[in-house]
Amino acid sequence: MTNEEIFEKVKSALGEDIRGSEVSLGDPVLFVEPGSLRRTAEFLKNDPDLNFDYLSHITGADYLNEHREPRFEAIYEFHSIDKNHSIRVRVGLEEDDPTIPTVSDLWKGALYPERELFDMFGFNVTGHPNLSRLIMPDEWEGHPLRKDYPLTTEDIAFSHNREFKRDLVKSKPETR
Amino acid sequence: MSVTEQGLLERDKDTMTLNMGPQHPSTHGVFRVVLEMDGEVVSSAVPHIGFLHTGIEKTSEAKRYAHVIPMTDRLDYLNPPGNNLAYCLTVEKFLQTEIPERGQYLRVIMCELARIASHLVWLATHALDIGAMTVFLYCWREREMILDLNEEISGVRMMTSYIRIGGVAKDVTPGWLQSVWRFINYLPAKIDEYEQLLTHNPIWLDRTQGVGVMSREEAINWSMSGPVLRASGVDWDLRKKRPYSGYENFSFDVSVGKNGDIYDRYLVRVAELRQSREIIKQAVDKLPTGPYKVDDNKISLPPRNTLKSSMEALIHHFKLVSEGISVPKGETYVPTEGPRGEVGFYIISDGGNVPSRVKLRAPSYMAVPGMCEMMKDCFIADVVGVIGSIDIVMGEVDR
Amino acid sequence: MGLIDQAVDLLETEVNNIKENVKDTVDALDYEYSGAVYDSILTTKLGKVIGWAQKNALWPATFGLACCAIEMMAMANSRWDAARFGAEVFRASPRQADLMIVSGRVSQKMAPVLKTIYDQMPEPKWVISMGACASCGGIFNNYAIVQGVDRVVPVDVYVPGCPPGPEALLYGLIKLQEKIMNEAGTDRAAKRAA
Repeated sequence: MTNEEIFEKVKSALGEDIRGSEVSLGDPVLFVEPGSLRRTAEFLKNDPDLNFDYLSHITGADYLNEHREPRFEAIYEFHSIDKNHSIRVRVGLEEDDPTIPTVSDLWKGALYPERELFDMFGFNVTGHPNLSRLIMPDEWEGHPLRKDYPLTTEDIAFSHNREFKRDLVKSKPETR
Repeated sequence: MSVTEQGLLERDKDTMTLNMGPQHPSTHGVFRVVLEMDGEVVSSAVPHIGFLHTGIEKTSEAKRYAHVIPMTDRLDYLNPPGNNLAYCLTVEKFLQTEIPERGQYLRVIMCELARIASHLVWLATHALDIGAMTVFLYCWREREMILDLNEEISGVRMMTSYIRIGGVAKDVTPGWLQSVWRFINYLPAKIDEYEQLLTHNPIWLDRTQGVGVMSREEAINWSMSGPVLRASGVDWDLRKKRPYSGYENFSFDVSVGKNGDIYDRYLVRVAELRQSREIIKQAVDKLPTGPYKVDDNKISLPPRNTLKSSMEALIHHFKLVSEGISVPKGETYVPTEGPRGEVGFYIISDGGNVPSRVKLRAPSYMAVPGMCEMMKDCFIADVVGVIGSIDIVMGEVDR
Repeated sequence: MGLIDQAVDLLETEVNNIKENVKDTVDALDYEYSGAVYDSILTTKLGKVIGWAQKNALWPATFGLACCAIEMMAMANSRWDAARFGAEVFRASPRQADLMIVSGRVSQKMAPVLKTIYDQMPEPKWVISMGACASCGGIFNNYAIVQGVDRVVPVDVYVPGCPPGPEALLYGLIKLQEKIMNEAGTDRAAKRAA
């Protein structure tokens, strides 16, 4: 199905749930509120013409540097094995309480990416069977992929200038 | 275990917890599975990942677009050109450039060579885990030839970074194509040798048939991809369904399995070895002449001999090396077919020369929970076979 | 009767001649072989012999983490055979190994595991830090990677490269063997075994 047909089908069934849609470099994208994610996901999966039965990935994004509301976004990408089309769903999340319902009962492949959303961004995925740290150690503090999390705490202690290097090494901060 | 009042140990539950720790010869990297065993049978397998987390996604947000390419090499370290290609295709989709045909064909040759190399490592380690040590030594012999080809064309054995934004890094050296031709004429006899050792071997059949079965619907629901999905009966190969980088010009077969067990995955991958050889043969046969990268000096470096004569070339060179390319605002995702499945980079750009978000869609990462689902009700010796058949690489699981 | 006496006399002189000749030869051989006993004994320090034995049978523990592990496997294979230098088998259990080749990037989650495996190895033990990531953090200067494995375990030989080719790792192994021979018989080797 072409992008227009997909959009038409989705809007006719879920009109008020879809906040907007666009075609980004040839890919169809839907913008959805967190409250309507479940209905949208169920429709996308169960409708026989759309039949998005394959979850490609779920990821998050932090727009702190671009100063736009909402600060966070969760992005879902679905493929359809039979119909060979794809769609992307972007869910905007607020900064102070990024909560999003789970889709892991529809696509079991969503279990790990949603845990990673919690681990790396701090999103609260409601209904997930095991929401715990996945990639970082269990007692890690902070959510690394947020833009206000520093990339590193120490500079590279290498310099062609030997005097400068001696001082650099002396003032190296404590490692984590 | 708990302690009673008399100071005796008492069992809390009926199953034994066995830790297949991060340091283990058969886990293909730093992968930890905590197995609950009821005798010899695994009743549940809980994976713990993250032991190789490198923070590549966050590091990429601080590097210019061209500087992310060496980082992508080290994600799935058995298939560096494939990762490079997935990243470069996404950036080129932003820039809306057409790569010249010669560049596309060279990219295909490098990616298929990497696919063969990756499948050889898979076969070697999988067979070694199940017990066939000879295959380990045989497969590495062919892989050394591919690494020599890599070294000749790019200077590095493994992490070539040969595929760049706008094309490839440089043209083929004289004699390289003849070396590739000699290699692909030498390869089919060797694949026959591996098949002779394994395919009808009663020990291999006993250990792999009917083990670790995943049905078609389950494989789609658990987001498996690549040979695992195809072995479960799903005809989904992104080189055919979403052709990229000139794959529509080559004719090759896609092998689809029936039962979804370890043996089918083995057969699918060995068939892929032969099909990759076919693709390389066609690519070397039909390799067109012409430029190997885009002419646009805002994207790819100008030729070095023009730097002395042309002012624009010098300025473009300086801008590209110091500031890097600037990518228009937007977001996109291009799925490609790697040896393990669907590899793709989802990139969000805010218009500058540094990406705002780079996410790798890693096939091994999406396969880990499905793999642990497959391990239920297997014997402990089959756990090793299942891990080997899914062919996970921890570099892309943990990123 | 005269003939028999003559024959006996002749025989006696012959035998005496032979005995004389043999005696000369045996004396000559005695003279020659008396020094050979000293030629077939080596005299050296016990420490050096132990060092020689240790360096020629360094068995690595499998500690392949990332991309460098693939090149380590290549070193163990038939083209760059590490077995001819003594690294015959890669022991899966650290309790049976005396060399740990840290090949690959060590993340924050893996560092305690690395220390545990190092502690489980019996003395004397050596560590080769293979690759840029294990030596100094490599290209990953961020929150997730330990910037050099020598923050966790003491390292004997650093092998740079990303990844170092198998020939480079073999050179590192040979350098470690030279280090063991240089230290053999001295206090440093005794401290290692203590």
